[in-house]
Amino acid sequence: MTTEVKAAPRRPAARVRRLIRGAQLELRMLAMLGILSLGLSLISPYFFTLSNILNLMDQSVITGIVSIGQTFVILIAGIDLSVGSLTGATGIVLGLSLQTLPLPLAIAVAIIAGGLAGFVNGYIITKGRVAAFIVTLGMMSVGRSMAYVLSGANSISQLPDALGDLASATVFGIPLNFVVLVVLYAIAWYYLTFTKGGRTIYAIGSNAEAARTAGLRVELYSILVYVISGALSAVAAVFLAARILSIDPIAATGLELDTIAAVVIGGASLFGGRGTIIGTFIGVVIMVLIRNGLNLLNVNPYWQGTAIGSIIVAAVLLERFLSAREGLGRAGSEEG
Amino acid sequence: MTEAAADKSLLAIEARDVWKAFERTQALSGVAFALRRGEIHALVGANGAGKSTFSRIVSGHLAADRGDIRLFGEGVRFASARDAIRAGVTMVMQETSLAPDLSVLENIYLPEFGAPGRLSWKALAARAEALLDQFGQKGHLPLGRALRDLSASQRQMVEILKALALDAKVIIFDEPTASFSPNEVDRLFDVMRLLTQRGKSLVFVSHRLEEIFEITDRITVFREGAAVAEGAPTSGMRPTELVRLMVGREIADIYARGAAGRGAAWAGAAVLDVEHLAAGPRVKDVSFSVAAGEILGLAGLVGAGRSECVEAIFGLRRVERGEIRLAGAPFRARAPIDAIRAGIGFIPEDRRRQGLVQDFTVRENLLLAHLGRRRGIGLGYDERRAQIEVLLDELSLSPRILDDGILTLSGGMQQKVVLARWILMSPKLLILDEPTRGVDIGTRSTIYAMIRRLAQRGTGVLLVSSDFEEVIGVSDRIVVMSDGTDVTSIPSRLVDVEKLAMFAAPRSSAEATHFVLEELVARFGGVAYWISLEGERLYCFDAVAAPEAPEIGFARGTFPEIAQSLIPRALERRSETFLAEPAGASVLVPLRGHRGHDLGHVGLTLPPSSPLPDPLLVRRIALAGAAATTAQAVAGGR
Repeated sequence: MTTEVKAAPRRPAARVRRLIRGAQLELRMLAMLGILSLGLSLISPYFFTLSNILNLMDQSVITGIVSIGQTFVILIAGIDLSVGSLTGATGIVLGLSLQTLPLPLAIAVAIIAGGLAGFVNGYIITKGRVAAFIVTLGMMSVGRSMAYVLSGANSISQLPDALGDLASATVFGIPLNFVVLVVLYAIAWYYLTFTKGGRTIYAIGSNAEAARTAGLRVELYSILVYVISGALSAVAAVFLAARILSIDPIAATGLELDTIAAVVIGGASLFGGRGTIIGTFIGVVIMVLIRNGLNLLNVNPYWQGTAIGSIIVAAVLLERFLSAREGLGRAGSEEG
Repeated sequence: MTEAAADKSLLAIEARDVWKAFERTQALSGVAFALRRGEIHALVGANGAGKSTFSRIVSGHLAADRGDIRLFGEGVRFASARDAIRAGVTMVMQETSLAPDLSVLENIYLPEFGAPGRLSWKALAARAEALLDQFGQKGHLPLGRALRDLSASQRQMVEILKALALDAKVIIFDEPTASFSPNEVDRLFDVMRLLTQRGKSLVFVSHRLEEIFEITDRITVFREGAAVAEGAPTSGMRPTELVRLMVGREIADIYARGAAGRGAAWAGAAVLDVEHLAAGPRVKDVSFSVAAGEILGLAGLVGAGRSECVEAIFGLRRVERGEIRLAGAPFRARAPIDAIRAGIGFIPEDRRRQGLVQDFTVRENLLLAHLGRRRGIGLGYDERRAQIEVLLDELSLSPRILDDGILTLSGGMQQKVVLARWILMSPKLLILDEPTRGVDIGTRSTIYAMIRRLAQRGTGVLLVSSDFEEVIGVSDRIVVMSDGTDVTSIPSRLVDVEKLAMFAAPRSSAEATHFVLEELVARFGGVAYWISLEGERLYCFDAVAAPEAPEIGFARGTFPEIAQSLIPRALERRSETFLAEPAGASVLVPLRGHRGHDLGHVGLTLPPSSPLPDPLLVRRIALAGAAATTAQAVAGGR
């Protein structure tokens, strides 16, 4: 009891200090984001209009949701290349289920399907000790193929209006799907920062051997992150289908690259153990802003890929350069 | 040439007023160091004293902020390690900087890959053969083998050969013996002596005091980035004085034995029983038990299977056969978490690989086992706050470090954090695998004191170590392992380093002696044995008996008093002719090593009725075997 009282006053200050030190990367990313939006608003008067902002929110939902799962996976030094085709495939599962099942049940079926596919990924990677790149590459191909097979290569349209509400409804003027996105990020942030599972995920990515020796459930959480990633792909599919009340087997092609880019721009290390969910969120917004900006600037669509690719690499290079300068002192003081 | 100038040229390295700061810490504040030609110079100091930083500056891996470094009288300032190598200075790295997928040969000549022109593999192979021959490593290092297939000590030897291949004039050995068994240390020392005979100048960085006193000519001690003793002759230094110089205070009893003395008789209930444990190729048949409050040392050479044995107990390896009981109840851990829930703590051998989560803070590393053991969703870090404060105080760590990254701490402090992690769990049994490797003496004494305090509170402690001095100093009782089996279990007060080494000798190196025993029994029958006699007691390292052998009252791994054996008079007199007693007639042959040290006796006891051979014949056979052993040792050492 006495230690409680004694320790209480110095805790908030320490917390704040730690928060600032720990959030340096996010603060830098936020600054980058600010500069980007400022630049865009100067170039295009349309940028800061309500309709464009609503448009930006809408566009960040799909990439944003899937990027949460991708962050979990990359934190344990894995990678999930199958998220794009799983979004497509679970979208088809959703469409087919809606032909017989009520909406909530159909959504559940799609999410379970996505989680199952993720489980297969995680199980083979963890128990079979196969590289995540290979396994999820395989699942990427299987997922897309299943989307075609299940749909007969046709898009499924005329989905029920109730689904459309998910895309059109608003909460205090903010689109419901964006609210869901923010809530999902809040949950993910809490989970990664304040729970046993979250810290275990970081520990696995940083040093799986040490985590195992300390009694952490390395295998369980290594599988779990892929389940989460698969399930969130299905959640994204729901919002994707809700947008135009139709789902196409080719939907979300290339989404895996956008999510990996968002996570990496957000400061995560592909070697695991480093990165935050807030960083990923900023990364997603930066990705969306860049696409939006290129459209506003009427950049030739053929050139957009080059522009986006270059910006991603440049952003990560800059980040590495900045953090390397910071890291020098730490590496130096390691020696006796 | 003036006398002063001639004197100067005797110095291989002369460093004055060298400064180096890292971001937050001043690593070197004006150190001085002088290395004479052809000497072995010890560079010692606690962790963080600046030894490694200084070594790296001299060998070109780091640049000094300022300072004056002369090599054979000429001022130098190396821009890179390659510069230093060209000038004749190389450093044998502590954490091996080798390419695991390349062969031994390629690794030895790796520095030449950077040179322009084509490499001739034939020429390299021939040079490598000559090099191995020169340093007595022929047959020990397969040149074509990929490095990853070698043992830790073999890899370290490759690292050393790499430096030798460069024909450096000055070689800095940075803790080269950390992964070595005593025999291998001997072999390395032979190589080092050979090098000084050829005029090379060596710097020897080590934490092991006994090694420093054995091999070095002079000692320089660093403390907090400054030299507190400069080139003091080793012969004039006492160990206690050296420790005082290193840590800046007196450490009277590093093993913290206190009034209890070592090897206090123990009668607590068994925490851990291991019977006929087999796990993987290295652990064949091991039995021992640890009592509550007892510190049991598990000694043996690298490769004897000690680490593998404790890893199997902790659930890091699959147990193939045998029984493990924890506090009397059958127990088998399939994963570490099973062992942790059952009350076992484990400090692994390789701190960086198995002990630390590098991206985590000190706090999170400290609470890692807490997190593993915890059920529920939250972290529960706050529940441990009061406990942590007490614990940090006991380990003399400041609570301010809690939010720092774990890698900002020195190796010794990191190890304290790993130790604290398990103490927090109040384990019934704590397993420590080489807990003080690469840890300086000041930190070591804190760790020993903590281990002892833990034992006094009733925790059973299982200490794995290849540092025999440490095992004897810390443990109450010692189980020696060799070739995957337990050889003996002996109270530590009854044993010394030499005897432990003989108990621990793997079959491969004790083979010649074993062969002698077999040959004696094959020729004459009875029972043949390899023993050491000291005072009232005999220590039996090996024994071979014919089917109708007489009972002699001791066997392999036992250490009875001579009076309790059945052939006391022969042993007492170290009888070199057959001496008849009720049990049988015995003869003893003293053995000497190639440097003349005592290797004990080979003895033969024949049944009372049997005819007695000429004792000289027995002697000749025994010594022929001993010669073979010596030849082997020479092959290994020369």
